[in-house]
Formats: sequence, C-alpha cells, structure tokens
Amino acid sequence: MSSPVASRFVGSAVHRKEDRRLLTGHGQYVADASAPRMVHAAFLRSDVAKARLNSVNIEAAKAAPGVVAVFLWSDFHEKFGEAWHAMLGQELVVPPPLAITDVRYVGDPIALVVATSRALAEDACGLIEVEYEPEQATVDYATAAADSNVVHAAWGLPSNVMVAVPFTPMSADLDETFGSVEHVVETTIVQNRYLCVPMETRGVLASWTPGLEELDLIVATQSVHETRNFFARYLGLDEGAVRVTARDVGGGFGQKMFVFREECAVVLATKLLGRPVKWIEDRLENLISAGHSRNELGHVRMAISADGVIEAITVDHVADVGAYTPCPAVMDPTLLPGPYRIPRLGFSTQMVWTNTMGKAAYRGPWMFETTAREMAIDVAARQIGMDPAELRRRNLLSLPELPFTSPGGKVFQEITPLETLEQALGMLGYDEFRKEQAAAREQGRWLGVGICVYVEPTSMEQSTLGTEGATIRIESSGKVVAFLSTTSHGQSIETTMAQIIADDLGVSYDDVTVVQADTQSTPYGPGTGGSRTAVIAGGAAHDAAVAVRDKVLGIAAHMMEAAPEDLEIAEGVVAVRGTPDRSLTIKEVATQAYTNAHTLPVEMAGGLEATIRFKPKRFPTWSNATHVCVVEIDPDTFIPRILRYIVSEDCGKMINPQVVEGQIFGGVVQGLGGVLYEDFRYDQDGNPQTTTFLDYLLPTTGEAPKIEIGHIESVSTTNPGGFKGMGEGGAIGAHAAVANAVGDALAHLGVNVTSTPLGPEQIFQLVQATKKERA
Amino acid sequence: MKPSQFQHHAPEQIDEVVGLLAEYGDDAKVLAGGQSLIPMMALRMAAYPHLVDIARVASLSTISASAGAVRVGAMVRQSRAERDASVAKVPLLAKAIPHIGHFQIRSRGTVGGSIAHADPASELPAVALALDARIEATGPGGVRHIDASEFFLSTWQTALDDGEILSAVEFPLWGANSGFAVEEIARRKGDFALIGALAGVTLDGARVARACITMIGVGSTPIRCHDAEAALIAGGADTDLDDIGRIAAAPLTPADDVHASAEYRQHVSPAIVRRALTAALKEARS
Ligand SMILES: Cc1cc2nc3c(=O)[nH]c(=O)nc-3n(C[C@H](O)[C@H](O)[C@H](O)COP(=O)(O)OP(=O)(O)OC[C@H]3O[C@@H](n4cnc5c(N)ncnc54)[C@H](O)[C@@H]3O)c2cc1C
Repeated sequence: MSSPVASRFVGSAVHRKEDRRLLTGHGQYVADASAPRMVHAAFLRSDVAKARLNSVNIEAAKAAPGVVAVFLWSDFHEKFGEAWHAMLGQELVVPPPLAITDVRYVGDPIALVVATSRALAEDACGLIEVEYEPEQATVDYATAAADSNVVHAAWGLPSNVMVAVPFTPMSADLDETFGSVEHVVETTIVQNRYLCVPMETRGVLASWTPGLEELDLIVATQSVHETRNFFARYLGLDEGAVRVTARDVGGGFGQKMFVFREECAVVLATKLLGRPVKWIEDRLENLISAGHSRNELGHVRMAISADGVIEAITVDHVADVGAYTPCPAVMDPTLLPGPYRIPRLGFSTQMVWTNTMGKAAYRGPWMFETTAREMAIDVAARQIGMDPAELRRRNLLSLPELPFTSPGGKVFQEITPLETLEQALGMLGYDEFRKEQAAAREQGRWLGVGICVYVEPTSMEQSTLGTEGATIRIESSGKVVAFLSTTSHGQSIETTMAQIIADDLGVSYDDVTVVQADTQSTPYGPGTGGSRTAVIAGGAAHDAAVAVRDKVLGIAAHMMEAAPEDLEIAEGVVAVRGTPDRSLTIKEVATQAYTNAHTLPVEMAGGLEATIRFKPKRFPTWSNATHVCVVEIDPDTFIPRILRYIVSEDCGKMINPQVVEGQIFGGVVQGLGGVLYEDFRYDQDGNPQTTTFLDYLLPTTGEAPKIEIGHIESVSTTNPGGFKGMGEGGAIGAHAAVANAVGDALAHLGVNVTSTPLGPEQIFQLVQATKKERA
Repeated sequence: MKPSQFQHHAPEQIDEVVGLLAEYGDDAKVLAGGQSLIPMMALRMAAYPHLVDIARVASLSTISASAGAVRVGAMVRQSRAERDASVAKVPLLAKAIPHIGHFQIRSRGTVGGSIAHADPASELPAVALALDARIEATGPGGVRHIDASEFFLSTWQTALDDGEILSAVEFPLWGANSGFAVEEIARRKGDFALIGALAGVTLDGARVARACITMIGVGSTPIRCHDAEAALIAGGADTDLDDIGRIAAAPLTPADDVHASAEYRQHVSPAIVRRALTAALKEARS
C-alpha cells in the first residue's frame, strides 16, 4: 500500500455538501415521498394507562368516508414471524403491532385505520368504540419494584422488576475504605424524563408489490440495513426482497435506531392490502409513544480523604424502562468513576417496568453515570468545604499518567481530562469568576458556575457495532462515488467522508459524491449512532480510498512505463515525482481502466473500485471533554439564565472543525434543555401531561447561549485518521454542568441541588423548602 | 393532528358574515388569524363544519384615531398594529404586542381575534381591561358597545352573543406625563406568560393622578387590581411599590399547571407588579 498524500481537506471547514438542499428546503424526508395508489394510516391509541380491552367496535369506522381498512390485532395475528434486532439480541422482542387483550400505557396502539387521507383516517379513528376495564396503573418507578400492580401481569410476570443486579463490590476493601476515610458523602441524584424529539417524526412509506413479492420501505431510520434485516425476518423473506432507503432523516438521537411496533403494523397493512401505505407520525404521537429517555436515579456514596482524594464511589441505581422498552439503554455502572483516578467501585442496578412509554436510546445513553457522579461531586464539594474545581483537579486523570485501568475494568488511554478542565477554567477565568460571584451575592444577585468532566466510550464493539464498510469507485469520467454503510440523520457524513476520500485519492472534494442509506447499493452497516462514524466508517472510507488509489497508481505506472512508487497524485493528476511533465489525469487512467481493460497486464482486472470493511484496532475509542456553565438566577422570579457556556473537548484529530462544533452545539442545547425546559410528565394515573410543544418546552435559538469551544487534539491510535467519536458528548456533559451551575448559584442559601429539572418552579420550591427548614 | 373536514366561507361584507353565522348557528365559527383556532381544530379539541373567514372584509381592517381614542378593526394583524403610528398613541397596546408569540404568529394573529378568544394569559385582553377599552360588537341587531370590564367572563368566554362578532376595539388615549409597562414571566421567549402585569400611570408632580394595574395568568380572566391602584393613587409616586405589589397579589387565586404551581404564581406576583410599576413610573417621569 502507498502512503496517502498530505491532507488538504481533512482538518478544514469546507462547505457542507448537505447545506444546499437542506437549507433551501429541498431535503427529501418520508413525508415528501409518494407512490401510486398510496393510502394513509392513523393509529387509534389507548387513552388509559392500564386496562383490559372488553370490546373494540370498528363497524362505524369501516363505513366512514375514504376508509380502506381498519385493522385490529386479530387481523395481524400469525401474519408475522420473528421480531428482534441483531444488535439487541433475540430476547428483546418488539411488542405486538397492536394491543392484544389489554393496554399498558397511554399511546398503546389498539387499531390501525387506513384511508385515502390522513384526515379521513383520523375521522374514522374517532368513530371506533373501545370499552376499557381500567386497572390501577404503576407510574412511579422509584416504588414500582415493590408495587403489587404489575405492569405485565397479563404475561404472568410476578413483579415490575425487569433486571436486578444486587450490590457488587468491585474492590475487596470497599467497606473498610468507607469505614476509615475522613468524609463519607451520600446523596440521591435524580434525572428527569426527557426525549429525543427529532424535528422529523417517525414515518414510513411501505410498499408491498404482489407478484414481485418485494417490500420497499422509505423510512425515517438510523439504520437502513438493520431495518431491512428485521423485516426480512419479520415477513420470512430473503434480504434481497426487501429494499430500505432513507434519503434525508430529520434527526434521530437514538430514537430511530430500532424498528418500532407501529412500523411493523404499517408493513403488515401494505402486505395485506397490496398497495402502498404511508404513516407520518404526528407530534402528539411522537411525544407520547416514540420512546422516552433519561428518567433514572442513583443513590451515590463517595469516600473522600482529608485532603480531597476520592478513595471510593458506589451507586445504587434504578431506571424506568416503561411498559415496552425499544432499547433498555441505561447506565453502565462500571463507567461511574469516569475520568477520575478513583480506585474503588461498587454498584447495584435495577430496571423496572411502569405503565408509561418505554425507554429508548438517547444521545449518550450512558449519560447517567456522568450526571450521577458529577452532581455528586458538587454535593461532596459543598459538604467537605472544598471548591468543586479543586476537588476535581485533585482526582482527574491526565494524559502523561495513562494508560490507567479503572476499578470497573476500563483501560483509559489517549484522553485528556485534566487538560480539558484546565483549558475550560482558563477560558472562563475561574478565579476571577469566584470574585465576581462573591461581589454579586453582596448585591443580592445569584450567580453560579457548574463543571462537568466526562469520558465517553465511542466506537464501541457491542454486537453488530464493531464494523462499517465502504465501496469506492472512480467512474470512467474520473469522478468519485463512495457508497457507505452509514445512515446519516444530521451528522454531515456526506461532507466529512468526502473530505477523507478526496485527500486519500488526491482529487477535489467537489468530485466526490457520497451515497448512503440504500440497502441495494451500499455495504452493510449496523446503523449510525454511538459516535462511530468518524472512527469506523471513516476508517473504511480511508482504507477503500487507499485501495482504489493503489489501482490508479498501478494502471498509471503501466501506462507511463514507470514504477508505481515513483508516482504521486495531486489535484486529480498522476505524475512522476520530480518530473511533472510526465503525467496523466485520473480521467485518462479511468478511461484506460474501463474501456481498455483488455490491454492491461493479467494481474490488473480493470475498473477502479474497491470494497473494504474496517474495524478499529481496539475498542472503545475514548474521547473526553469538560463543560463549564455560568448561570444567573433572578431572585424575584427564580428564572435561571445561562451567561457563559464553555466546552473544552478532545475528539482527536478533527475532520471538519465546523462539523465538530455543530455537533457540540446541538448536544449542549439538548442537555441544557433537559435541565431548564424539557420535562415529560405523567399524572399519578399515567396520563401524559406534556403532549404538545405548549407544554413540552424545547430550547429554541432564543434560549441557546453562545457556546465557546476549546479544542485539545490528542490523536487516537485506534484508527488511521487519529479520530475519536464526538457525536454525543455535548448532550452528556451539559446536563450536569447546568444543574451544578444552578446548584452553585443557590449554595449560599443552603440549597442542595440533587435533581432535575430545574425550571423556575423547582428552584422556587427548593428555596422555599430550605427557608422553612432553617426557620 | 389534522382537523376534521370543514367548509371555508370567505365573505367580503360584514353583513354576509353575520348572515352566515345566523345560517349555520353552532356549526359555524369565525376564523381570523387562525393562530388559536386552527391548532385547536388540528388537535381535535374543537370541530366546526363551517369556518367564516373574516380576512377579506375590508371594513374590519381599518385603524382610525379620534381625539379621545384609537379604534382598531378586529382583523388588524398584530404585526401591523405593532408598527402603526396611531397605535403608537396607545403605548400599552404597542408594548404588549411584541410579547405575543413570535413574529410569524403576530403576522397572522389579529387584535380582535386575541381579544375575542379571551385567553386569561393573553396580553391584549389585559390591555383592553387596563385601559377601559370599549368593545364594538356587530350582530343581526346591528352594532353595540361593551365595556371591557364587562366583556371577559371566563376562560375563552366573552359577553359576545351567539351570532355576534367583535368588529373593533376602541382604546382610550391617556394624557401627558403618562407611562406604561408590560412585565411578564414566560418560560421561553414567545411563550404565553406564566404570570404578567400591565401597568399605566399618569403623574401630576409627585401625585399619581391615574393608575391601572392588570394581571394575566392568575385567574380565568385578566384581573384588574383596583385596590392596588387605589393604594398607589393614595400613596403617590414614592410609595413602596413592594407594598402595592402585595396588595395586588393578596386577592389572587391562581391555578396550578404543568409550568408553575399556584403557590409560585402567588409568590412572584408582587415582584412582577413592582417591576411593571417601576418601569411605568420611570417612563411617566421622563
Ligand atoms: C406558538 C404560539 C404562541 C402564542 N403566544 C401567544 C402569547 O404569548 N400571547 C397571546 O396573547 N397569544 C399568543 N398566541 C395566540 C395568538 O396570538 C392568536 O393570534 C390569538 O390568540 C388569536 O388571534 P387570531 O386572529 O389568530 O384568532 P383565531 O385563531 O382565528 O380565532 C381565535 C378564536 O377567536 C374567535 N374570533 C376571532 N376573531 C373574532 C372576531 N372578530 N369576532 C368573534 N370571534 C372571533 C374565533 O372564532 C376563535 O374562537 C400564540 C399562538 C401560538 C400559535
């Protein structure tokens, strides 16, 4: 293999290939697609959290104008096969497409109406008569394990506990340590329920063609290939008979990683009707039934020495997985110590069912280990009377002392926790801020600073996730088409991968087209998620480009009667090094490769194409960052406002700084949204309370602070580009940074912030409770 | 989230509007800017087989100023009123409009629609109440006027009779040395207020000659704080405004919702009144 040319596009903020169509409103989403004879679907959903279905009368709905069909469970029963995802394993089965005998959360689909328009389908849904026999719902996950109202009683399950891992000490001397240290800090950290909320809701246009016996799906997904494999199993078809495409996907954040029961129902409907069926989820459905996230609590204990060394940390963790969990992505307790030199660890964990929407993956699914630890560190700092930055400084790992093996068995290397802390504190002017804060308090103003330091396992190995593929072809015109295994849903993959490929091939960035998310033309990929694209898909793109480059050099060497080692490629021209007048354009080489292949030596097969799969040298690829947030709380109204937001991050070598910063901006806004604005609420009977954007508040541009970013580029050796994943970090770090800033702003009042959300109401209640306690 | 089917009527004369409302009775609803009505229909909280769109009735879109008042036609878009020279003579109205949603919403939403809709967290009903505006109603029996103090009955309930439309609102002008302010707490920019206070004062030296204080988001209608107004007039411009805020807040019985408890609303009310009065007095002095 030849060594790649010096980089020209990697590292620079080239214009995004996606911008033209996306920013001019020409993105192609599922709602933009149509098919001849297409009909529209709407679900009748349960408005009771837990009930037996005594009867469902669909006669009036069937007779309503425009109605093509009304389906119940009995129509789908025995019409489908296995319903599992390779990544999650065969045990985690997607729930039945429609409720069978009972409903278990508000939003549980009971009937599917197909009509000539969505409005008519909704009209018909209104005519379906359901007779419910309500039962007491279980809503509070903190008490669900002991609750005698069992969510899945109809399955004969004895309790609401899905998984329970008893307390497991990872260090032999855990108890002794807690018994002998100067400070033991105990606190319960509670994170609220908030959601992915992609701009494009779920949606699918499913077309079954009788006779051809093929299924075609245009779907809002993060993984066309796993969607294809799922439905091949589901309908008992060969994979080749299922085509799945996704041109543009308007955000996923984890929600669209797996097939949902609603998509199963729509696929069964097209199969039974033999005509295309389209379902575009509305926002109400997306909020109540597309997967919920966060909603975890942890009782954290820390053993801290007199000089502020954290000697041990433990957690007793409980997570709500709702009624049916699309992906039980909860805390990995072995990551609890994070990027700290903490030598001892212990944990227990419990996942419990409730009569609420099930848990789905959300950007940084392992975020709670960060939230729990970082909020607990601030509680500890307040308790032992040490500055929270100093407490972190004394315990954080730094690059020179790596590799470090944590008590959870994680081997950290190539990360810069202390370095990012110092950079972020420097960007703020931490010591000056503390003076400003003290002066502000004198004037009755409440200012606070919050810090969050984390390490993120990117490009993990679990199950299907270890590998990605790329096919790269230089066409006879000399232009390049790259077929990638990814399914972008907003990651600028067409841009970043084209940068890598252009550099490796020595062609212009504008001459590279990236094709993805089409199962009939692209290599298999497990799906875009888990901060894996730069490292794994980037590795595949690089290796495939190098393989094609070698073919170009081989053919050019033959044509110029030179040795391949003596050739170089730059700006689309292959030349003999040092003799620039002996050269060929890539187009000339391509013409030879395609139209005169018979004249090439026997060992050259012609064409300029390669397919390569890539797997990193090690798993995971660690990345890390420090977030620092400054808030001011209005003492009259208790409204918190972010004054500064700083991120110092290390994602290794950056392919495109603008894309990196865009990913951080979006993630930070989601994380701060979950603290300050977003909060999905149920009442005690399991009725959702926040079912429109009037009640479920997303941060908008008006709420987004200016985000200042510092970069530290410590190169990763897991992949040829030296990259690290960074798609999720923003969302992981922001939650604790913002919560800690609110906590710091209230600390002088004696308030101890341990839970989120922290809107004006919660801050008011905290301040009032503290006042009462002190009175 | 698609509305059920309806027929769209687009009359050009107010008589036709009144005629259509009479013809279809409870099956008909007036459509103005659609910024409240259409979302309610899309969420299927409401369904009307006939919508009588008043956007093409030219006479409903006029703004005229007389010596004592500015008359704003029901169909005047909020964005137009926000920039109109005559409306500028009613500073409280001009100051309140930017608090309504976002500019996209204001460029469709109407002054009359907001007042007829009578949401207790809305700004414009509170402006009408604060300024003692007169509501002009047109129905089968012709035109009549309703005082703002009689107009707002409860959440989304007004004194308009069936078959009547709100055709205009007359906002009285205040004299020199007056100041006005709108102070509100909203979770995000553009959201409906959790609570808010609208205030106006006219100064005569250190004497407060005239005052109005109206609160939103604290009951089923906007609420005029008469006791607090009287206390301010009695106490003068240098009264402790925290006291006035407490007097205003004392009788309020706000409700809980997902965004804030009644207790929170009660607690923050005095400060919001204080802030509104501080700003209004500052403007009156300048
Ligand atoms: C995202 C969003 C945020 C918003 N934020 C705010 C806010 O902060 N503050 C605020 O005050 N409002 C807010 N609104 C509401 C908005 O301002 C509406 O414009 C207003 O409430 C209704 O005016 P409209 O012209 O759109 O009326 P429509 O929606 O057309 O009508 C509303 C109701 O009033 C009736 N109606 C309308 N005109 C008349 C008339 N002339 N005579 C009799 N009945 C009539 C209709 O029949 C209907 O029942 C918001 C709306 C949205 C979508």
